[in-house]
Amino acid sequence: MPSDASLTARRAEWAEMLPILAARAALRFGPPALGIALFLAAWQAAHWHYGAFILPSPWQALLAVWATLSSASGWAALGATFGRVGLALGLSGLIGGGLGLVAGYLWFARATLAPVATILLGMPATAWVILTMIWFGPSHGSILFTISIVVGPILYIGTVDAVLTRDRRLEDMAASFGASWWARFRSIALRQILSSLGPVFGIALALGFKVAIMAELVTNVAGLGAQMARARAHMDIDLALANVALAVAGLVIIEHLVIRPFQTRLGAWKRGAA
Amino acid sequence: MSGLTLATISHSFSGQRVLDTVSLVIRPGELVALVGPSGCGKSTLAAIAGGIVKPDQGRILRQYQRHGMVFQQWRLLPWASARDNIAYPLTLGKLPRAQITERTKAAAQAVALLPEDLDKLPAQLSGGMRARVAIARALVVEPEFLIFDEPFAALDPALRRRMQDLVLSLAKSRGFGGLFITHDLYEAARLSHRIAVMDRQGKGILGSLVPPGTPGARSEAQIFDFTQDARNDPLLHDLVNVDERAIALDCACDTLGFQRCC
Repeated sequence: MPSDASLTARRAEWAEMLPILAARAALRFGPPALGIALFLAAWQAAHWHYGAFILPSPWQALLAVWATLSSASGWAALGATFGRVGLALGLSGLIGGGLGLVAGYLWFARATLAPVATILLGMPATAWVILTMIWFGPSHGSILFTISIVVGPILYIGTVDAVLTRDRRLEDMAASFGASWWARFRSIALRQILSSLGPVFGIALALGFKVAIMAELVTNVAGLGAQMARARAHMDIDLALANVALAVAGLVIIEHLVIRPFQTRLGAWKRGAA
Repeated sequence: MSGLTLATISHSFSGQRVLDTVSLVIRPGELVALVGPSGCGKSTLAAIAGGIVKPDQGRILRQYQRHGMVFQQWRLLPWASARDNIAYPLTLGKLPRAQITERTKAAAQAVALLPEDLDKLPAQLSGGMRARVAIARALVVEPEFLIFDEPFAALDPALRRRMQDLVLSLAKSRGFGGLFITHDLYEAARLSHRIAVMDRQGKGILGSLVPPGTPGARSEAQIFDFTQDARNDPLLHDLVNVDERAIALDCACDTLGFQRCC
């Protein structure tokens, strides 16, 4: 049992620390909370101005999200979209990232693939949706292909850049200690390349979601996009907004659960650890 | 035996010859300082001696099993702790974990690194501590020969002197030979048995100067007198009266490494 004196001292310590902790929390969470509050206020104001038929209130949208999450079909749509984005990111990571590694190291491959990457990057995502619908029909595969072909060049260019901007002096250091090419790549180059790819993966993920929803909407293949197509057909603005909110929430959750920890783990040293 | 012979070494980068039939013999246990103006190819020669760059022509005869290398700007892995940086060369082999830990600890002790600093990242260490980590990393392989490529150029004079003292004490206790690249004639005179002077355009070694006595046993007055006299030696004319406009290649391109630099 702690004595009265130690309890009093601990209380005094907490009393001193609480305002500091509160101020820190306010500084950290205050500005983002203010931003969200302003956004919701503007939304609510627009709702009052235009009415519920054009723009439901944030509360109505929240209820629609809840309704979607309460149904098996809602979860199935979410799962379909997230699964496709995950699979397509994996595929484009393998192909785009793999080609990026090769092109980063080999001048000839880089020079050969540069115009291809430029052409693919310049192609509008909607054009790919139309083309893949014609080629493969409205199917799961066509959406996967669309996401991969849009996201792949971004991962390719990010990987090439990561390879080219790595600190080669560290590899020279390793070579002086007799490290083989593979050891230098594995222990030094790959580490730097992956740490540079964190932000690129974040962008690829966001773009992947946008393309997935757009492709699902156009092809009407099960997913959040197809739900939005249904909402459009029924003029169900609540459902449309609920799906948008779910897509955004899903993106934020994945970014904070996967991308940010990945960036923190591999790229903390770049931001300085002092 | 810890000697090194570089025989008629020639090397070019992007068609531009930076080393032209350079020969240098370092006898076992001898610490040779290599001086020369910027852009003359000293670092390229060090890279060739260290096995980083394969020369276009010439032969390298290493009379030792293992060498260590200490670089300009230290080249520490920024994501790894000081301990992991020191251990890095050992992780490239197949040594047992316990042996790696033991040798890392011994190398850190040899350069007087504090145990609490071993868990810090390079960004959390001062310049002097980073230099100590880089030296410990070179020592951890138990080298018979050490190559220093201007390792203390970025340090302030007091810290540089402390690092020189560290090299002197390690060379005395371990008896390794080595090649010490430097711009600083005073540093060369303090640390080396012999000072080799490189041609301004990398066309060989112009000659050697031998400071009196042995490294570590020279007095400050002896070093001062030697450097004052040496400044008037025709061998060091280009080093003392360097005109950077005459340098063919920019040697401040160290960020890209040896292969893309002179």
